[in-house]
Amino acid sequence: MNGAEAMINEEALGWVIQTRDPAFSDWDGFTAWLEADPAHASAYDALMLADSELDSLVPPEPVAMPPIAANDPGVRARHPLRWIGGGAVAAALVAAVSLGVANRSDIYSVTTRPGETRLIALDDGTKVELNGGTTMRFDRKDARFAALDAGEAAFTVRHDAANPFRVTVGDAVFEDAGTVFNIVHTDAATRIGVSEGKVIYNPQAEAIALPAGRALADDAQGLRVMDIAPAAVASWRQGQLVYSNAPVTQVAEDAARSLGLTVQFTPQVQGMRFTGTLRLDRDPERFFAQAAPLMGLSAVRQGDAWLLKEGNGPQN
Amino acid sequence: MATGLSAIFMANRPALLRFLRARGAGDDAEDLLQDMWMKLEAKDLGPVSDPLPYLYRMANNLMLDRYRSATRRERREQDWAEGAGGVMADPNEDIAVDDRMVLNEQLNEARAVLRDLGPRVELVFRLFRIEGVGQRVIADELGVSLTTVEKDLQKAYRAMLTLKQKMDTE
Repeated sequence: MNGAEAMINEEALGWVIQTRDPAFSDWDGFTAWLEADPAHASAYDALMLADSELDSLVPPEPVAMPPIAANDPGVRARHPLRWIGGGAVAAALVAAVSLGVANRSDIYSVTTRPGETRLIALDDGTKVELNGGTTMRFDRKDARFAALDAGEAAFTVRHDAANPFRVTVGDAVFEDAGTVFNIVHTDAATRIGVSEGKVIYNPQAEAIALPAGRALADDAQGLRVMDIAPAAVASWRQGQLVYSNAPVTQVAEDAARSLGLTVQFTPQVQGMRFTGTLRLDRDPERFFAQAAPLMGLSAVRQGDAWLLKEGNGPQN
Repeated sequence: MATGLSAIFMANRPALLRFLRARGAGDDAEDLLQDMWMKLEAKDLGPVSDPLPYLYRMANNLMLDRYRSATRRERREQDWAEGAGGVMADPNEDIAVDDRMVLNEQLNEARAVLRDLGPRVELVFRLFRIEGVGQRVIADELGVSLTTVEKDLQKAYRAMLTLKQKMDTE
């Protein structure tokens, strides 16, 4: 290989790495590099092929954390970090677990009231954060099992390829492949968003792989896979709700779960969609004063419930 | 098709065409774009949060598939010409015992090469390449700079690709 070729290969490798990044967006820059020399595209293709062939050479393995070197104080454990930063959520670390009615004594259920969040730390290092209005089951003897019966939960899974973590949601099973993800389960829909790693939906049947930045919804419209901004996954943990073109009805459901409210909407509102970020405010008055105009709606208090209707009119 | 995706597609058609040409599609660029359009229409993707990168990625994947099948065909034809011919066995089935031993040896070798790069480089590579975690996220979670992650990845990639090349020529 001569010097020029080596240089092209070096650059091509850089682009292979960049374009493999789920967050890559500089397609204009990539186009410009490709246009500079036809040899660039060939070098890129060859390296991408070689890259895909690495799959057989590097099988997935549980990621072992390296010991913290004395001269490298920056390296910290991957998952715990997220939890220390969890602030309000971490304050709720000691979860009072209520024993549910279960056939087997080692299965227990945890329920949160609307507006309440709870953190469950499983023995294997996996963390499950329950949003309000949520019921889940766990197994004392099997830390790799969880069932989301209703509501919403965010999962930070300690990955073990030999013994994957599985979440049962209705008839569906989600299996992790080293992951942070969020699942919502209501009577009408199941939605999952993946912010890190990968989740397999129904590994024994459809086996749909959901890498970071992908989401899956199963509702009246059927089964769909879409993109989601990783930062938007389980944003309720940071006191925010982040949406991209989501039905307003879904926004209302999420707000109801997170704040412990009952939200109703007029038929006209049902078909509307919302893109944007809402700040979760414990005070419903303040929340709707901020959120409703952003959605192009107005909110009216009706007894214990809030009614969302069309128009930017004054509240009440 | 997802709401808005068709509009984004139309608005960026010239840029996507330019990308496909630069990617080496030549005269087929128009046809490939048409294929993309049909695929988008056939699939209900639901809302896509970042439509333009999504479309570029789709175009890039189309080109990778083309390259892959062309390479496969070439290898097959070469095998024929060299008299090795016959049916190309599916690499996944019926691996002979000695092949299996070779494969195991290769896996061990790959593991050793990764380990020799040091624990952080290995971790960064595994997170990025196996778990599909982005560089920014890796940097944040390990508490190192993005440049460090980029350098680690390049180092790991160079080592792995060199190993792969060595194995292929053996």
